[in-house]
Amino acid sequence: MGLALTAVLAVGTAACGNSSNNNNGASQSAPASGSASASAPASAPASKAATGEKKVISYWTDDRHDQEYIKSLIDRFNADNADNIEVELTVLSENFNQSVDIAFSSNKAPDLLRLKSANTGTFVKKGYLAPIDAYVTDEMKTKFSSLLLDGVNRFDGKLYSLPNSGQTLRLVYNKDLFDKAGIAKPPESLQEMVDDAKKITEAGKSEGAYGFALNFKNPKSAFDRSIREILSLSGYQGLGYDLKTAQFDFGPYGQVIDYFKQMWEDGSILPGAETLDIDPMRAQFAAGKIGMYLSFSTEPGVYKDQFPTTINWGGALAPTIDGKRKGTSEIVSAGTWLGISDKSKNKDAAWKFMAYLYRDEVLTAYHEQGFGISVVPSIAEKAKNPDVPGMEGFLVGDSDSIWPVSPTVTPEGANYGDAFFKYMLSGGDLAKVTADLNARYNDALAKAVEKGEVKAEADPSFDPSKLKTNS
Amino acid sequence: MTRWTRLWENSLLLFPSIALTLALGIYPLLWVLRYMFYDYPGYGQEMFVGLDNFRRLLRDSAFWASVRNTFVFAGGKLLITIPLSLILAVMLNGKLRGRHFMRAVFFMPTVISTAVISVVFYLIFNSYNGMVNQLLMKLGLLGGPFEWLGPDHAMMTVVIAAAWGAVGNYMLLFIAGLQSIPQDLYESASIDGAGPAQRFWRITVPMLGPVMQIIIMLAIIASFKGYESIMVMTEGGPIGRTDVMYLYLYKLLFPLATSGTPADQQFGYGSAVGFATALIVGAITLLYYWLSRKMNKVY
Amino acid sequence: MTQQTAILKKPSGAAQKQGAPASVGAARFFTIAGRAIMWIFLLVVGALTLFPILMTIVGSLMTNSELMSGGNILPKTWQFHNYADAWQQSNFARYTWNSLFISIVSMVGTLLVAAAAAYVVDRRSFPGKSLYVGLQASTMFISMGAIVLRPQFDLMVAVGLNSSLWGVILILMSAHASTFFILLGFFKSIPRELDEAAMIDGSGFIRSFYRIILPLLAPGLGVSGLFAFRHAWNEYILPLVFTMTDPKLQTLTVGLANLRYGSSAAMQTNLMMAGACLSILPMLIVYALANKSFMQATAGSVKG
Repeated sequence: MGLALTAVLAVGTAACGNSSNNNNGASQSAPASGSASASAPASAPASKAATGEKKVISYWTDDRHDQEYIKSLIDRFNADNADNIEVELTVLSENFNQSVDIAFSSNKAPDLLRLKSANTGTFVKKGYLAPIDAYVTDEMKTKFSSLLLDGVNRFDGKLYSLPNSGQTLRLVYNKDLFDKAGIAKPPESLQEMVDDAKKITEAGKSEGAYGFALNFKNPKSAFDRSIREILSLSGYQGLGYDLKTAQFDFGPYGQVIDYFKQMWEDGSILPGAETLDIDPMRAQFAAGKIGMYLSFSTEPGVYKDQFPTTINWGGALAPTIDGKRKGTSEIVSAGTWLGISDKSKNKDAAWKFMAYLYRDEVLTAYHEQGFGISVVPSIAEKAKNPDVPGMEGFLVGDSDSIWPVSPTVTPEGANYGDAFFKYMLSGGDLAKVTADLNARYNDALAKAVEKGEVKAEADPSFDPSKLKTNS
Repeated sequence: MTRWTRLWENSLLLFPSIALTLALGIYPLLWVLRYMFYDYPGYGQEMFVGLDNFRRLLRDSAFWASVRNTFVFAGGKLLITIPLSLILAVMLNGKLRGRHFMRAVFFMPTVISTAVISVVFYLIFNSYNGMVNQLLMKLGLLGGPFEWLGPDHAMMTVVIAAAWGAVGNYMLLFIAGLQSIPQDLYESASIDGAGPAQRFWRITVPMLGPVMQIIIMLAIIASFKGYESIMVMTEGGPIGRTDVMYLYLYKLLFPLATSGTPADQQFGYGSAVGFATALIVGAITLLYYWLSRKMNKVY
Repeated sequence: MTQQTAILKKPSGAAQKQGAPASVGAARFFTIAGRAIMWIFLLVVGALTLFPILMTIVGSLMTNSELMSGGNILPKTWQFHNYADAWQQSNFARYTWNSLFISIVSMVGTLLVAAAAAYVVDRRSFPGKSLYVGLQASTMFISMGAIVLRPQFDLMVAVGLNSSLWGVILILMSAHASTFFILLGFFKSIPRELDEAAMIDGSGFIRSFYRIILPLLAPGLGVSGLFAFRHAWNEYILPLVFTMTDPKLQTLTVGLANLRYGSSAAMQTNLMMAGACLSILPMLIVYALANKSFMQATAGSVKG
């Protein structure tokens, strides 16, 4: 089916090339290339001589926060490069992964893709990406050596992307509200968090201020920025996967949920949080109505540009289950940045632009302007701290590290976010909820392993306290 | 005129319709009928799984909850929409001054994209700072924030939003139906001494019967199918309380992306769900058609 | 809830006023009272109808943080430049063009396809006629939801129409069953003698279709055209899925809804609302232009 379809596509696009969007210029122009597309992967290394023929490279990203900067880099590259390469930027929105799926199923794949840790494995599995081993120079290999990781940017021994920056996760808290409630410092254990949330609510409820909030409209999104962090700092993988046994075990997750449930029952959570989106929540935080929440290091940028605020706020390490840090704070989406499409007809040209973006100059500026926190040691060492208020609380420190990845599976029925949120709101038997999730997730995992889509190898010696930290 | 000319003419005029219907209406149907027996994530090999998807459907409590929600949603929307639009139509059908303006007012919501206005409804109804709560609290009608979008009331709120967008449309159709009732019927009834109420029940209602039958049927199908407003307002939440079956299906195929990890698209299981939803809506439509057969006979 | 129950209760009140006693003086009083109740009812429902639209207009003139944090009914300072921002930032001109393009082309296409088919079905008998009508009816009543987008998309890929808006247009045109049935109703009111006379004059079957029938069908084409236009203009899921890979092809609905999100940056709801207000205008103009003949025409359509 897949093959037959591609064949039809190749013919289809070749025949109807004219009717397709002309505004893309030459990106898919030459009708003759229809047949070449099938053999493109094999012929990649044989670089075409630069005959002055223009090569258009399309780059797709879902990053919006850095688009002005990236645009300026592209303009410079387009003007300066000697190979007559023209890069076209397409900024997609929240449907990025689906857009990529659709593009690859309809022969409209871009040449370069923004990769995140969350989607890289899936893209490799679907055959979207081309290995870059042949292109990477020795100098680059040294520069990124500590960050080339299996299951992150390396799959089956082949390298698909290189790291640039990552996101740290922190507790974001309103210092004014903490002061008002007489709390000296951000909570270190979940029990403290529950107590603090209650105190803040008691002190601020009359003015509409509550202790805690999260964007529960999409529970998985809410938990993946909060519980994930609490767990990894407590020594457990943050998405419910047990690295020692290579099985899903939502037991620790359930422990955290009980504290969230307590805050809910205490009335310490902002009313209406159950349908809250992330941005309305930020707006409420900026207006001083929320004591604390947990999120990524994108927050300082948002409060600088989108929701200017007068409140005193800061980022701090998240609390742990019992107040003891048995693991490290996970730097998420850190191992990848750009990748080359397997369907690209101009992989060499795509790599040239990719290499252009991975220069020290760009990586340093990226960090210093606060678009992401650099994880590349040589950059992080000499780069200045980003000039964004509040960012100091999010910088990579002794407790931050990259974690091994967990396999992505699609279980039958509700995901863990929905299941646990339901328990949080309407109660039930936690042991049952957890057992049900374990069963369904491990079932899906077994099926995916059987199909050869994911690898799940137990690492009995895994020790969360011995993860390599960055500084 | 020969048989061949006739055949040629008929084919020429019918061809576009038949070709479009077969290619984009029937072929997708057959596609679904095939893939509901497969496991297919949208890439790689599809796998024949026999009746597995239907077994899963039977034990999928979230789906059945969404079926129940669909009935509540559609029922609620119809209960508001149909009487309200009929009343408005009767009022604005007469010689009332300002009727054109009022019609335009009620028609307004139907020209706004559901996806766009639903964001506004979210801002109006959210409990922490929604405009409705602020208004009611200022008027002293509410002591504290009312959870319009909380688990217990979200369904009511999405029904209100959906009805808001639909009333004008059915009002228009009802007005059109009312205008097709011959005026002299009313005149002769007036001469016979019938008051407004009698005229309404004895002429308007029965004469409107056949039109009403169709309009209500369209309204039923539309109520069961609509999910855009819910998708934007609540995404089916909180905790699945507003998840309707077509939204549930949409989420299987296009998992709402907010946290980055792409879930697999489930075309095989989605086909089974699509088939089941089509059966359910089809059964409802037929049932309604059978129950309402009397409306058609009064004419 | 109070406001909503108000709506629900009022109808019974309005219905009661119809039951005025026969005595003349009292009847007069009740007519006036009834009229007053009716107007109160109309104004209350009208206000509730306009409220969200007014909120959209007001919201479109606020700063984003003011809008998101709520608290104000009217903007502190009126941000008229939101409209300029929406127009520039969101590629609004292109979205509008795309929306107009798919709406107009699919409207014209739907009308032609459905009118031609209805003409044959109404004027001629041919083998398989009831099969054809049944087929049309079934496409109206069988709805499998979003799942059919995949085969439709695959088909467009196969014929190379996935990277233009023609795929969306063809799919919109394929859903012409309701237009077909509406027009079928109108055909019944066009006397057969007219086209038969024309054919005796030497005009062929097809020729009399566009010479005689189409002009006479104008009211029916008007109303079903408006519906088809509105349907295409407001369609969201279909263009969303089909233009995911190419933002340049997005329509107003998709572009506007996308304004809400940035992957990392915050959503710009104020700009979205400004865009929403702008996007209503074309439909309102169409409605204003069509309003008069529209009502009569709609009457014809439902009768069929």
